[in-house]
Amino acid sequence: MMREKLNAKSGLSLELLRRNMNTVGPIIFVIAVVAIFQIINPFFLSYHGIITLVYAMSYFLIAACGLTFVIMTGSFDFSVPSMLKLSALICVLYIEKIGLLVIPMALIVCLGFGFINGVFLAKFKVPSFLATLGISIVLEGIAWYLSKGHLEIMQDETFRSLATTFIGGFPSIFYWGMGVWIICTFLALATAFGRRTYAVGGNLEGAGLSDINIIWHRIKVFMLCGFLSGLAGVLYMSQMGGGSVKIGADMAIPLFASVVAGGTALTGGMGGPHRTLMGVIIITWIQAGMAMLAIGNDVQMLTFGLIAIGMSIATVDRKRIKIVK
Amino acid sequence: MHPVIIVFLALLLIFGIIYPGRFFSAINFKAILRQFVTLTLFALGPTFVVVTGRLDLSYIGVWMLGGVLVWLFKPILGMLSIIMIPITGIATGLFIGVVQTKAKIPSFILTLSLLVTYTGLTALLAGGYPRAVDGYEFITTSLIPLIPTAFLLSIPIITAAVFLMKCTRICVYLNAIGSNEEGARLAGINVDKYKILAFLLSGVFTGIGAIILFQHLGGSAQVQLKLDSIVWPLVAIVLGGTPLTGGSGGPQRTLLGAITFTIFYRGLYLSSLHPTMVTLLVGIVLIVSIIVSARGLKGVTVT
Amino acid sequence: MNNKLLEVKDVFKTFDRVVHALKGVSIEARENEIVGVVGENGAGKSTLMKILVGVYSPDKGEMYHKGRRVPFPRNPKDASRRGISIVYQENGVIPWLKVYQFLFLGYEDKYIKFMTLQMDRMKEQACEILEELHVACNVEAFMHELPLSTQKMIEIARAILGVRLESEDSETTPIIILDEPTSPLTDDERKELFKDLLKMKRNASFIFISHIIPEIMEFTDRVHVLRDGNLVAQYDLSREKMTEEDLFRAIVGRKSSEYISRSEDREALGEEVALSAKNLSKSGHFYDISFDLHKGTCIGFFGPAGSGKSQIIRTIAGLMSYDAGDLKAGDQELKADELPHVRLKRGIGYFSGETGKELFLNWSIAKNISIINMEKILGKVIPVIHFSAEKKMAENIVQKLEIKSPSVGTDCYSLSGGNKQKVSVGKWLERNPDILLLDDPTIGIDVGAREDIYEVLLEMKKNGISMILVSDEPKEYFILCDRIMFVMDGRVQKVLGPEEFRKVMST
Repeated sequence: MMREKLNAKSGLSLELLRRNMNTVGPIIFVIAVVAIFQIINPFFLSYHGIITLVYAMSYFLIAACGLTFVIMTGSFDFSVPSMLKLSALICVLYIEKIGLLVIPMALIVCLGFGFINGVFLAKFKVPSFLATLGISIVLEGIAWYLSKGHLEIMQDETFRSLATTFIGGFPSIFYWGMGVWIICTFLALATAFGRRTYAVGGNLEGAGLSDINIIWHRIKVFMLCGFLSGLAGVLYMSQMGGGSVKIGADMAIPLFASVVAGGTALTGGMGGPHRTLMGVIIITWIQAGMAMLAIGNDVQMLTFGLIAIGMSIATVDRKRIKIVK
Repeated sequence: MHPVIIVFLALLLIFGIIYPGRFFSAINFKAILRQFVTLTLFALGPTFVVVTGRLDLSYIGVWMLGGVLVWLFKPILGMLSIIMIPITGIATGLFIGVVQTKAKIPSFILTLSLLVTYTGLTALLAGGYPRAVDGYEFITTSLIPLIPTAFLLSIPIITAAVFLMKCTRICVYLNAIGSNEEGARLAGINVDKYKILAFLLSGVFTGIGAIILFQHLGGSAQVQLKLDSIVWPLVAIVLGGTPLTGGSGGPQRTLLGAITFTIFYRGLYLSSLHPTMVTLLVGIVLIVSIIVSARGLKGVTVT
Repeated sequence: MNNKLLEVKDVFKTFDRVVHALKGVSIEARENEIVGVVGENGAGKSTLMKILVGVYSPDKGEMYHKGRRVPFPRNPKDASRRGISIVYQENGVIPWLKVYQFLFLGYEDKYIKFMTLQMDRMKEQACEILEELHVACNVEAFMHELPLSTQKMIEIARAILGVRLESEDSETTPIIILDEPTSPLTDDERKELFKDLLKMKRNASFIFISHIIPEIMEFTDRVHVLRDGNLVAQYDLSREKMTEEDLFRAIVGRKSSEYISRSEDREALGEEVALSAKNLSKSGHFYDISFDLHKGTCIGFFGPAGSGKSQIIRTIAGLMSYDAGDLKAGDQELKADELPHVRLKRGIGYFSGETGKELFLNWSIAKNISIINMEKILGKVIPVIHFSAEKKMAENIVQKLEIKSPSVGTDCYSLSGGNKQKVSVGKWLERNPDILLLDDPTIGIDVGAREDIYEVLLEMKKNGISMILVSDEPKEYFILCDRIMFVMDGRVQKVLGPEEFRKVMST
């Protein structure tokens, strides 16, 4: 009798731990990561070091927030890095001809591709990762075609000031990043749109019975993702000032890893942008820390690949899915 | 499927007419065979997985990691170190199969993440540079004029794959799993076992094929990952007529897809189209073939 | 009279010590006959069948084969060896396999030589057995290319084949269990299937599970009626004269005393028509359904499963489309192809007792209630969710419906079945649609919770919400409906008032 009680108790606390792992885990992880890097390199948390971290994470956070919404609905968007690249490219290529109008142009183009992604999924029933994979190839092709492989430099002062004006000790891109994050969190947690996104991801059939136009809503979510990817691209170009052709499929896995590491599971219906902040911090700070220690890109890829796999396994809600392909 | 054969013949005709001299030349013929070999040896293994409705993107990783391991082990194992490639293939296939089946991770993200991991691992082990490995040139020494030896060597592999698919119960079971997994389970098939087997076969065939590819593609361990190399074998599979949702098709179809795609690509290459435009066209071809083959999904919840 | 082939006696099966699925059921199947096992959902049919094929083992009971006592099968392969095989209701067919591949699925080891499948032998034997069983088709065709009834026949052929291949005693007559074989079929396909089944009687015995009364009446030789885990009746249809209504009453009838008298007076029917249908039809499911639903009243569609009643309510909800006829909500026409959310905008809500579909189980009670009441909790100026308003709304509902849970923030996962249902009802109570469609609203929940839900529904009716009910529980119709339409074979056979209904349905 006693043993049963004891087992029940330890079972309960194990269950409690498991349930809260999703929330507590990432925080512990971040603290550990920062601590390790700080010990290895005392300049990690210096002012200079922090600014490096900020630059690494801000545009990334914006793109990751977009991807988060898509993953919340149970889908996947592989084309985010490509949209980011195209958006950055549009800015640098046409700034001389149309000035700051490149910004709305880039955003609208990405919005359009997001719409296409959504339509492929919602209307044509093409699995999202395939549709977005195909779109990303098209985007890469367009990007290559436009840039002809050359490295472009952004010279417009006004444009560059978007991301690099220092306010209160931090570059403006930091405020952009945090601002977008706050708005996305707000959108997810406190608006009907956010609620409906969770509904679509959590129980598609139930969502259909609940006042939600599931076809149109999924399209909207992909459009939002496109818009945010475009925004991230604009700010990236503003921050970097050039060399955008390098971003490629390289970014897809760290991006995905950051969403999943934050606690938003692939199964959909849970997590959210507020969680993604933690994931982005983990991934980009590890990335920056590794760069600081002169650890090559190779080990980074290795690490993020492993994190992506590991976190996917940890967060998948196995109760819900029966057949996974 | 029959439509693809028509496309294949049509392309032959079109390119033959537009570039009569260059298309049917010896150089082009050899180039076509070379590209066909590369595409096929990468796409053959994953086809088994696609038949079950899943995706396996790890093939490039097996080739890359295997290559670097050959370089690493050469001093120790001598010529025998080439077996590191099939070992990598088998281990990879087994790992993916078990994790996908037991932990229920979507295969796309799992194999893509693994691919990225392998890329990093490869670069790490190679110290960042491609590493040339000597001693295997005999694999590609020319035996018959005009026909790359690699092509000859690939024939037994292709035969084995097609045999497995067409003549054993693998065909029935993998098709059943891809077509109606629940029904297959109700019929008493050990579904988990065959899902793992599909991934294992993918790893085995890729691993063995990569032995040839290793030398065929330059005899050195590569460290760069290109989007094209991931996508082209997928195009070969889909174009050949194995739907990404699974349930039918197989290696024999992939052969058709590979040769059609190769002709398509070579034809475009001979034109003055910029390579990036070609990549763009390939992307469009991929999307269109996916949409066309995905049309059969009625009432299925797609995410 | 045929010889007894298979008999089970006094079978008991309980799950988790709480769910008494079978309480001493005995059935028998004789040589070369089709014996029916009928009953409503939850009567115990599928549990019994699973015991027969070895998926479950019974707590108590005896099995006899040709008069000799035998142990129950340990697993499906063991059952095949004994001659017992099952054709499942759905998901049994693999669309992209060829006929001969599907026929031998799972039994390939009998046809392997040096790792190779002997496909010629398989094709030959496939032709043989299909000819024997009078199924005409090309063994090289893909399963999905064939009409549904042929697919079903091939499934049956496969079951017979499986028994023959596995069985130790080659003389034994196979016993094939058919689990609701006709549910995916159209009328014509059903007729085809039965023609073929009758021809197959020479080669096998069939245990036929169904709720479709006309089929049972026409094609079975004997029938066992299960209700609530008990065998309540046994009829020999070749000898006794029974009408469909007799059989129906045997299946769902309740003792007269079980009908709780209605505590309120029937109000006079309101004048306003909330929903009207004229000759609504969907081929293969229902025909010429016409009615006027007056405001504040409830119409029930009653009938055995397969009668079309579920399809009718789902079509009104927008989950299915209709082929012909008119459907109007007030003045607005409801088009054939609209999705449920459009119907909801027009004031028609759909409430299903299956909480897995209705609720978001990992959400709190409050969120489940607010998801269809978003306008009430969003700010007027900036459309932000007012959490306090949401909480209040939920607390209000929880109180009204006496939902037992620690707080409105509790996840619905952890609630009992009855309380989950109450949350579902609660959200509609809050929404207050013009029309509420009730599709099996109290399935699987305890009596206490049921009574509470009936009370709420009745109050909603009083407040002007019109309802349509479809259910398997006759008592519900008596309590909630003002008019009950008796549906069979897709058509309305009779319209009854509640008192008449009670008289007809009492045993």
